[in-house]
Amino acid sequence: MNVTIKTEAEKTLIVIEGRVDTTNAKEFEKAISEVIESPMHDVEVDCEKLTYISSSGLRVFLVLQKSAMAKQGKLVLRHLQPTILEVFKMTGFTSIFTIA
Amino acid sequence: MTTKELKIANEIAEIARLEAFIEELGEEHSLDMALVMSLNLALEEAVSNIILYAYPEKMGEEILITAFATPSSLIFTIADSGVEFDPTVIPEADITLSVEDRNIGGLGIFLVRRIMDEVKYERIEGKNVLTITKNL
Repeated sequence: MNVTIKTEAEKTLIVIEGRVDTTNAKEFEKAISEVIESPMHDVEVDCEKLTYISSSGLRVFLVLQKSAMAKQGKLVLRHLQPTILEVFKMTGFTSIFTIA
Repeated sequence: MTTKELKIANEIAEIARLEAFIEELGEEHSLDMALVMSLNLALEEAVSNIILYAYPEKMGEEILITAFATPSSLIFTIADSGVEFDPTVIPEADITLSVEDRNIGGLGIFLVRRIMDEVKYERIEGKNVLTITKNL
């Protein structure tokens, strides 16, 4: 797993690469904690290179979405691979997130 | 029918070993990538439930994962000697709740059920044995 955060003016981009599973989901949450705690005006997550996610990883995405909603912020997930999108669909997460 | 086994220790870090196990199985049986990923996910959710709930204070106990391949199905058994724990009776996650009310509890077993065609729990000679089957 690799996480990169780029901030430009009010816009924040999180690039998540590799696998997010039970072994590293806490590390992922820690890596994006500054974004979770931010006002979350305009946050995008680039998932193009996210190759695997389990329920532990989904939990971190849920934390991010809850934070965005509590602050009336904006969170968009982009470029999900078909297999990842399938996991989001299976769990009903497609109705929770804005997926572009 | 072929059989493949993986023994892992009762530690979260050991879950990483499932990936190689399932990828080898995928190569041996020419399974497509999407199926390999789904099987990896089902196994991870089942095994992480055991590590998080069946072995609260008994680190170091083993978990034995066996894969049987038949021409029409893949059958996995996951056996551990932790406390009696039947994951099939955990209430499933309600995936229709709004974001404020959603939590992740029960999502693991929900995923196992959605991915696999059959999920069966048995307590055999002091062991928890979970058998999960995917029809091909």
